Amino acid sequence: MGTISLEHSDRLYWLGRYTERVFTTLKTLQKLYDRTIDNRSGYAEYLGYFGLSDSYGSNRDFFRSFLYDSTNPNSVAYSLERAYDNGIVLREEISTETLSFLQLAKDTLAKSEMSENTRLSLLPLVDQLYAFWGCIADNVYDEEKKNIIYCGKTVERLDLYMRTGYSYKLVKKEFGRLCKRLKNVPENTPFCCNSQYFGEIEDIVGSAEKYSSESSTALVDLEHLFEPMGAAV
Amino acid sequence: MTQQNNEQCTKAVGNADEINELLRRYGVKFGIYKNGVFNEQFFPFDPIPRVIPAEDFKSIEKGLVQRVNALNEFLFDIYHEKKIVRDGIIPEDFIYISKGYLAQCEGITPKNKVYSHISGIDLVQAKDGEWYILEDNLRIPSGASYPLIARELTRIAAPQAFQENDIVDNRNYAKLLKETMENANCGGIRAILTPGRYNAAYFEHSYLAEHTGSVLVQNDELFVEDNILYHRTYSGGKTRIGVLYRRIADEYLDPLNFLPESLIGIPNLMEVYRSGNVGIINAPGNGVADDKGIYYFVPKMIKYYLDEEPILHNAPTYLPFYEDDMKYVLDNLEKLVIKDVAEAGGYGVVFGNDLTKEKLEEFRRTIIICRFSTTAKR
Amino acid sequence: MKRINFYFSTKLTFDDYVHDHSFALRIMPPESTSQHILSCSLNISPYVPTQQTVDAFGNNVTAGYLRDDHRYLDFEIKGTAEVDSVKHRTDYMPCYLYQSEYTAPDDELRKFYAELKDRYIGSIPDRAAFFSDILSDLIEYKKDVTDTSTTAAQAFALKAGVCQDFSHILISLLRMDGIAARYIAGLAFCDGETHSWVEYWTGDHWEGIDPANNCAVNDDYLVISQGRDFRDCAIDRGVMFGKYTKQLQLVRSVLS
Repeated sequence: MGTISLEHSDRLYWLGRYTERVFTTLKTLQKLYDRTIDNRSGYAEYLGYFGLSDSYGSNRDFFRSFLYDSTNPNSVAYSLERAYDNGIVLREEISTETLSFLQLAKDTLAKSEMSENTRLSLLPLVDQLYAFWGCIADNVYDEEKKNIIYCGKTVERLDLYMRTGYSYKLVKKEFGRLCKRLKNVPENTPFCCNSQYFGEIEDIVGSAEKYSSESSTALVDLEHLFEPMGAAV
Repeated sequence: MTQQNNEQCTKAVGNADEINELLRRYGVKFGIYKNGVFNEQFFPFDPIPRVIPAEDFKSIEKGLVQRVNALNEFLFDIYHEKKIVRDGIIPEDFIYISKGYLAQCEGITPKNKVYSHISGIDLVQAKDGEWYILEDNLRIPSGASYPLIARELTRIAAPQAFQENDIVDNRNYAKLLKETMENANCGGIRAILTPGRYNAAYFEHSYLAEHTGSVLVQNDELFVEDNILYHRTYSGGKTRIGVLYRRIADEYLDPLNFLPESLIGIPNLMEVYRSGNVGIINAPGNGVADDKGIYYFVPKMIKYYLDEEPILHNAPTYLPFYEDDMKYVLDNLEKLVIKDVAEAGGYGVVFGNDLTKEKLEEFRRTIIICRFSTTAKR
Repeated sequence: MKRINFYFSTKLTFDDYVHDHSFALRIMPPESTSQHILSCSLNISPYVPTQQTVDAFGNNVTAGYLRDDHRYLDFEIKGTAEVDSVKHRTDYMPCYLYQSEYTAPDDELRKFYAELKDRYIGSIPDRAAFFSDILSDLIEYKKDVTDTSTTAAQAFALKAGVCQDFSHILISLLRMDGIAARYIAGLAFCDGETHSWVEYWTGDHWEGIDPANNCAVNDDYLVISQGRDFRDCAIDRGVMFGKYTKQLQLVRSVLS
């Protein structure tokens, strides 16, 4: 329809962010799960990424909390609820079909909690998230709206990649993707990036050496990316 | 429906579990508040169909069109010349005592003179097979999305039921709604106004917005400037709205014209509407036509405005306002359903056969007093 | 017939900035058989484009929308009119026969009417004058005991109030008596603010009566708006956003 309210633009952005948070958290936890098969205390480092202390007695408790506990704000269940919350008020923008994959994902996660084999039971969840993104690509005709969702998705991925120690090569690739998205943001909208923060990230991510020592600065800059120019730091 | 027929249909529709699974998947929900907490529940699907033979359907359809046409004529008349009152068909009191009558709507003529774009007429089939009108809903009837989506899913889950039976398709509702909105459009985009996601019918609002290609809006995204209704965009711009399918009640629609405490309305919307710069679906003020007291007079309206005999009949109703009716009511109170004409939505409904002797006497006295006070007033 | 100059101003001040302020003013006196508006200018500050419409009761409505932050809204009208109260208006609406939000009587007021109604039998104008007489003996004109939300029943219980309350009680009595009556907001020589009085339907035209002064309406009264009760006639109504907690309203009117 070509008219986007402030409320909906915000919802579109956070739909992208939370859905991506579900996906990348799941991916990272799966890798971690794989590593814990050999090394029993592999999750401490992951907690460190988020500045959390270890209050989990076992690997099992850790994974149960980070997968299924919707009161843990870093869990897959929590992010999926938030993604769904944003999606439900965007039905007419993203389509019922797209939204149905978030409902299916919720159902899969709930079923997985009861399952004997966590990783096997989570396999359909990844498929459903891919289907969700396929639907977004296919069903959202308005490029401006689609770009807001993708901005959210890419910011989130970049944030998690930087935060959870993904390789420089992957970070750089995602940043390149973000630059492309930002170019398509129309003027005077809330998703015009703050050139000061953007410049700083560009500078840091520009060289491997700089990135290795200053990634935490880039992470803070990313948080402020959409602050209006001239706002207090 | 015969027992055999019933079994056939149940079998034909097939697996209710699968359909319920699909309803879940597509998020067909309704919201309810329980102990102050908002919860969404999935809409349950009942596989036993209510079969209406084509012959019956044809006459029901004709009857409904006739009834709604008369009701539209009535609304135009009441908010303009009031000929039906002047000619003594409906006593004046029934119009102006009705809470649904809004003096603020006097003189307003909506585009194409259509007041009730979407009408929810409740029907009941009696033991003898005859269909009767139970009540008219001309304000914001809801529920159209559920049969739509249920049909879509039933066709997926039980295609043979549709192969073997010649079933009329109902899935053009969104297309009809879109056309209806376009007919009322005064120049601009189509919008559906919802009170928000915590409304019981939010699923329906968003589903209809999706399927009519309308913008789903809340009041804080809208404003009136230069006597035009606008949607506020995220870039600080504005988009004109030409037709508003509102899913909030008249009283809350415009705090400067109706309830000042309304937080879900749009200030000065009525000025825009009166000036013909926006269409509102359904028209504000329709409540005067679906009032329980007015129901009694709808068959008379059909004769008065259309000069036709009513095709569909009201359930037999007695209005103690008239002496003959009062006598019948007092003599047969225990056999009747008693409705307070000032109430709506199931409130103020009492079944005479549920009442004790004392209660029946009490009702008899109330009915007599009410009758004499209205008569005295005239 | 009398030629009068009129002036009316309202200053609305908020104790903090407000924004997204939608307002509707009923402030431009309508042209009618009993008053001919020779000139009328409206000034609103801060500057805001406005639109004029006419509502269901025949009132001029000035609607506007101030998006940006502001702390006040001032408006004033200035003009000249020829008032001829002998020429009566005939714009009848049946809803004026029925009680409305402010005029609906409670048991006390109903009882009062029941005791009153048989004490006087006469023509409609006679009955209206009789009710007005009774009220002027019974109700004390007193400021600050009622406000704009006070109903007829509440003011009657207090036996005190201002012109708005006198009007509401009289309308309530007239309607109980089967006489259509409406609320008038306007300017009068006797008042430095806005005034209110009543019009009742004689059977073929409206006749004005001022219950607060217990007198008939003459050429010294300029009608600004009319309706079922105060609710339909509020000079200004608005919806705004902001952290303000108070608003101050100063009103001044001059007839000359």
